[in-house]
Amino acid sequence: MSEPMTDTDRPILETRSLAKRFSIGTRFSAEGRRTVHAVDNVSLSVRRGETVGLVGESGCGKSTLARCLVRLYDITDGKLLFEGDDITSKSLSELRPLRRRLQMVFQDPSASLNPRRRVGDLVAEPLRIHGKLSAREITARVAELFELVGLLPDHVMRYPHEFSGGQRQRVGIARAIALNPDLVVLDEPVSALDVSVQAQIVNLLADLQEKLKLTYIFIAHDLSVVRQVSTRIAVMYLGSIAEEGPAEEVFATPAHPYSQALISAVPVVETTPAGARKRIILTGDVPSPLKPPSGCRFHPRCPIAAERCRSERPELKEYRPGRKAACHFPTLT
Amino acid sequence: MILSVRDLKVSFRTHDGPVRAIDGVSFDLEESEILGVVGESGSGKTVSLLAVMGLITDPNATIEGSIRYKGRELVGLPPRELRRLRGNEIAMIFQDPMTALTPVYTIGWQIAEQIRAHRGLSKSKAMERVEELLAEVNFPNPHEAMSRYPHQLSGGMRQRAVIAMALSCDPALLVADEPTTALDVTVQAGILDLVRKLRAKHKSAVVFITHDMGVVSELADRVMVMYAGRVVERGTRTELFSDPRHPYTRALLGSIPPLTGQKPRRLPAIPGSPPSLLRLPQGCAFGPRCPVRYEPCEAGKPGLGASAHAAACFRVAQA
Repeated sequence: MSEPMTDTDRPILETRSLAKRFSIGTRFSAEGRRTVHAVDNVSLSVRRGETVGLVGESGCGKSTLARCLVRLYDITDGKLLFEGDDITSKSLSELRPLRRRLQMVFQDPSASLNPRRRVGDLVAEPLRIHGKLSAREITARVAELFELVGLLPDHVMRYPHEFSGGQRQRVGIARAIALNPDLVVLDEPVSALDVSVQAQIVNLLADLQEKLKLTYIFIAHDLSVVRQVSTRIAVMYLGSIAEEGPAEEVFATPAHPYSQALISAVPVVETTPAGARKRIILTGDVPSPLKPPSGCRFHPRCPIAAERCRSERPELKEYRPGRKAACHFPTLT
Repeated sequence: MILSVRDLKVSFRTHDGPVRAIDGVSFDLEESEILGVVGESGSGKTVSLLAVMGLITDPNATIEGSIRYKGRELVGLPPRELRRLRGNEIAMIFQDPMTALTPVYTIGWQIAEQIRAHRGLSKSKAMERVEELLAEVNFPNPHEAMSRYPHQLSGGMRQRAVIAMALSCDPALLVADEPTTALDVTVQAGILDLVRKLRAKHKSAVVFITHDMGVVSELADRVMVMYAGRVVERGTRTELFSDPRHPYTRALLGSIPPLTGQKPRRLPAIPGSPPSLLRLPQGCAFGPRCPVRYEPCEAGKPGLGASAHAAACFRVAQA
């Protein structure tokens, strides 16, 4: 154990070698019972007030990790600490007071809002469950929340379908912040929205973070959005973290060959002739988490893979203060 | 000229009254040209292309205007004639490859079926062609892939199979509706690369629909920006991205967070959301969200004009 830390630099949330495995099939199915290594050996710490962006291709385990972080999934292995307190295997009733402080916003606001209930009622629900507020106080708080997220006071009586996608996501956010949480996990909060609306929600999230001193874990597949909102990012590949570091630095000088390929693949608006930017095109698909490759999990697609990568799995190492990469040959610039 | 669309209007009768999904869209497409169509949901980008393909069969729909393919009028053409063109000379790729594939036949069988239907090749000849096509769309092991079922392939591979199917009859026109939206960026980069290569090789003209400005700027020769059923700006790729004129185009480009350089503290966002086609605002549809609107914008709908790089905006016309 390390030395005692002061409250400010102690991480608000921390994982130690966290793993989540799912069993699929039965002993009667053709391949028998098999194990999906969805999240594997993830050690990540989140400091108070920062935004950690999780990026990676679909199936890389970022959403599974997010759900483990708020204990929507049970954790198979490793530890999850909230403010230094081990919550890996706390029972649901023990978790209840924590739920207030750990909230989640989902991708599709129309799927996470009950269509038969008025949105004011939906936002009041967490207050009724957790709070000790009177009916009048709840009404006042809902009005306050609506103002915070940029909805009009008379919107409380409407149903979710009466809103546009952007407004529905505002309702989802109001629900998540209703109990004054410390940490909010945002799983693709802008992906389902129209391009012209995404920027509004990104700005709203930034405003709320400042006002309410929130800590975010932000998941998105749109890399430019992640860069915009995150102070730090973790690039995931096949269930593990390939690279971690300050967002702007990782985007400017990615060290892991996978991050390099991922970032170079983002189409950007350029006025110079097409194809001027150097692009690394990865061959093949992401391997199945049922049968992860030996050694470095990225080696079958890696342009610089060597013999060592096939046999020896690289650890996520800090090669410079703040910058970590799980690669035997990181690009150091 | 491969395709020439003039003053295309599509409306639907609905329970809540008539909806004009497309309101006077015109564009031309030359051989081996890639036209990027950008717009948000409800902008009419998909409906206009479905109209071109003759795929709007809803009895509540009315289609007006002219769609000429190689000089031949498609509006009002009998379904049998259209079927002969579709899949043969005009091919289409959709966002979800599973809409174009049946789960119960192998990839090889499905692509071969199309070649046999349109070209009358024998089964074995068609299968040989399938193997060539799968190699062309970069299947690592085309022979083996032929015997695979769609569920055994990844999303990117399925989309490649659909592209192989679309190319099977050497179409003169390829319509792609958000073909990379459901894919990861790394896979998307490969597909965009493939579209570029195929255009060069087959000289097909491509209409590429997307909501992603980045994709358009990487791929298209010319660009058309749509909003609420109308074209608000058109021009070459360079014109549109180095000198965007319509306030909507400018705002949309401005609201994309940068991938390099200094991060802005706040993104310049566009207020509001795209209008419902049932309740379009008076005058210019972008008016209520526009930072530079003035009186004329509420009075009438601005036209696009005739110039090559044009924006449907009173402010631009005035400048």
